[in-house]
This record gives sequence, C-alpha cells and structure tokens, in this order.
Amino acid sequence: MRWDGESRLNGLLVLAAVIPVWELASRAALVNPLFFPPMSKILKSFFLLVLSGDLPYQILLSLKRAAAGYLLAALVFIPLGIAMGLFDWVHRSLELIIELARPIPPPAMVPVAMLFFGLGDGMKIFVIFFSCAWPILLNTYDGVRNIDRVLIYTAGTFGLSRARSVVKIIVPAASPQIMTGLRVSLAIMLILVVISEMVGSTDGIGHFILDSQRRFKVDQMYAGMISLAVVGYALNQLFLLFYSWLLAWHKGLTRKQR
Amino acid sequence: MKLLKKINFAGLASLGVLLLLWEIFTRASPLLQLYFPPVSRILLSLYQLIFSWELAGHFLASLGRFLSGYLLAAAVAVTLGIVLGHFRTAYSLSEALIEFLRPMPSVAIIPVAILFLGIGDSMMVAVTVYACTWPILINTIDGVRNIDRTLIDTARTFGLGRWKALGKIVLPAASPYIVTGLRVSLSIALILVTTSEMIVGGSGLGFFILDEERSLRTSNMYAGIVLVAMLGYSLNRLFLFLERKAMSWHRGMTAGE
Repeated sequence: MRWDGESRLNGLLVLAAVIPVWELASRAALVNPLFFPPMSKILKSFFLLVLSGDLPYQILLSLKRAAAGYLLAALVFIPLGIAMGLFDWVHRSLELIIELARPIPPPAMVPVAMLFFGLGDGMKIFVIFFSCAWPILLNTYDGVRNIDRVLIYTAGTFGLSRARSVVKIIVPAASPQIMTGLRVSLAIMLILVVISEMVGSTDGIGHFILDSQRRFKVDQMYAGMISLAVVGYALNQLFLLFYSWLLAWHKGLTRKQR
Repeated sequence: MKLLKKINFAGLASLGVLLLLWEIFTRASPLLQLYFPPVSRILLSLYQLIFSWELAGHFLASLGRFLSGYLLAAAVAVTLGIVLGHFRTAYSLSEALIEFLRPMPSVAIIPVAILFLGIGDSMMVAVTVYACTWPILINTIDGVRNIDRTLIDTARTFGLGRWKALGKIVLPAASPYIVTGLRVSLSIALILVTTSEMIVGGSGLGFFILDEERSLRTSNMYAGIVLVAMLGYSLNRLFLFLERKAMSWHRGMTAGE
C-alpha cells in the first residue's frame, strides 16, 4: 500500500514536471512555438475560455447530443438484448442482420446521417445511437444468456409471471454485463460526438478544436483538448459512481433475500 | 441433416424480408430513392466500382494506412507495455501521464496531427498509432503485472537469463491480455483511418464515402459503406484465425510441459 501512494506521487511529479519543461522549450524556441505555444499561454486561454463561458457552452452542446444518442440507444437496445437472450427465435432472426451491420465502422455512418438529417443535432444523435448500439445489445444478450437457468426456473416454480421475473430476476442478474456494455459505449459515445462534429457541424467541442487548428489559434486548440480530457475523465468517474450505487442496491437486495 | 440444422433459416428469412421491403418501397417512391436507392442498384454500383477499378486505389490507400498504423502501434505498445509492466518505477513515473491522456477521445488528436504533419499519409498513420496504442498498452501492462511471480522466479532459479525469461515466460503468460488489447484496437484503427480520411480528404474509403454523399451519388456511397464493412469483417476474421493459431501454439506448449 505504501508503494501505491508513492507511485501516485511520482506520477504526479512527472506530470507537473511536463509543464515547466514545455514552457521553457517553447520560450527558448527549442520546439516551434507556433505548434507548441508556452504552457502558460495554453492554460491562460483555457481559463479565459472557461470563464467567458465559451468552452462550457460548446461542451454542453456536445454533451446534449451525446446524451440523447446514448440514452436512446440504451432505451432501445437493452430491451432488445433481453428479448434476444430470452427468446431464441428473436436472436436467430436478428443474428444475420446484426452480423452484417456491426462491422460497419461508425464514422462511415456519418455521411448517411448527413444525408438524412443534414448538419443538425439529429445527425449526431443518429451516429451515436448507431455506434453505441452494438456494445449495449451484445453485452445485454450475453448477460441474459449466461443467467443461471435455475434462477429463472425457481422464479417460475414460485409462480412469478414472465413479466415480473424479467423485472425481478433477469434484469438484476444480467445487470453487471449490461453495465459493461454501457461503459464501453460511454467511451464510444464521446469519440463519435467529436467525430461527427469535426466532419459536419458549426458548433460543439469537436468543431471548436478543429476550427481553432484551422485558424491557427493553437493555444485554443490545446485548451479544447484539455477540456475534453477533463470531460472524459469526469464522465468515467460519474459512471463508476453510478455503477457502485447500482451495485450497492443489488447487493442490498441479495442480502435481504438471504 | 446436421448441415440443415446449422443454417439459420429464421435469420435468412428476416434478412430477406428486410431487403425485399427495402427494394419494393424504394422502387415505389422516387423521393425515397434519393436517400435509399434500391438494394439491387447499390449492389450494381458496388460491382461496377470494383470492376472498373475505381475503388481499388481508395481501398488500397485505406488498407495501407490501416496496416502501417496498426502494426506500428502493436510494436510500440507491446514493447512499452512490457517495460512499464515489468519495472515498477517506470510505471509509477508514467501512470499519471497515462491517466491524464487516456480519457481524452483519441480523435481529438487529429487537429494536432494536422498541425504537425500536414494532411498526408503520415498524419493519418500517426493518429491511428496514437489511438490504437492505448488499449494495447493498458492490456499489456495489466497482463505483465498479473503474471504469477512464481513463474518468473522459477525461470530465474533454473538459470534463465532476463531476456530469455522475457521471451519464454513473460510474453506467453501475458499474451491473452495482449491479444485482447490487439482485438479492441483493430476496430479502433479502422475508425481512425476512416475519420481522418473524411476530415482531410484526398483519398481512401472514408473520403470516397463522404465525397459520394456530397455529390449525391447515394448508391455509390452505400457501396463504399458495404466495402468498408467487408474490410472490417474480413480483418476481424483474419485476426480470429491468427489468434487461434497463436493461442493453439500456446496451449500446445502448456500441455506439453
């Protein structure tokens, strides 16, 4: 444990050392200051952009789209995955379609979405919906398939109706794997919102970063990237919090039954 | 009989119905055809594009970028992962840096890469390498750190040198993790290649698809998507095939000892 604390400290020291080294290298023109503006300048424009509300606005726009696509995918594909896991005929009839659609790299759907939805929010939401679908669907399916059959039979023996056993037995038993799918999709969601904003948008954090580069506002570009890293980190932490909250409820349930 | 049972009739039927409905509805409505050309026309476009060699250049460009980016990332990340997994100081020094860079969606690096490398192949390969490195690196570190110390100690006791122990013990023992990382990176590589082609343009399947959409040659766009999907599918199959080969060697070795 002592070693663990030490490791965190060492790593933070290295991270902290990067800042003055970058600053000095840029100021001394060891690296091209056009590409590597001094760290102080980057951090300054980061704080200015945050305080002026520019960055939070762009990020909020992106997060709104991301959340819409992500939640829609969860809403559609968790039930579908459960149905596939419960009924073999659902799985068999969808299997080939899924196998055909899944290998499409998600960015390849951006032009299709642009065709249907133009450059608006709908386009991004559709792309995120499409790309988050597979991890959620396949993990839910796997989770339901791998439930101990005895659990389901027991529920049946005790007279639980099908609908109630889905809510009481199947969803809780499959929830660890469903959460895995949701977690994988969270990272994909962030990637796809940035991609779709870079390829076809006039706002959002993805557009902001690419646009800053094109206008040679390099310090703003780096500032945008820092904010994206912060958002990615925060989303992941938030998800873990949600996960442990859900798991605690799950644990509480099993304890009560015992 | 067994063969008959293996065929997924329900799946084929639902796929057939879907394609048939697509064909009928799009043929019936000219407005819909603009967005959704009939399946038959998409397949015809695909056929024509392939045999007129129009797509070959784009296909090879994408494949080349994919392979160089992916393989380079594999080489770099596995090596780095073994070093970081093996030497605790190295890991503790770089941990915060990794934890800081990893949550940033890798496509955000594209503007930086354009700034430094322009809009050529090297930029696309560079972003692919960057994005593919993370899953491989993290998995390799995990794999090496989770190796039973007794394995290594035993090897050392029997007089294996550091390097030999690396090749004979560390790499094989960590390989299941490494393979997982490599598999995750496979689809990431394809994502990064198509995305960077869309953003900087010029050549490649990503560029082709976006360009056909902008020129409203919709059936060509769908044909391009079919081709990308086929590329992704066959790369995945190839990977599974190679994995089975590599892992059977591994299994053979453990069984033999």
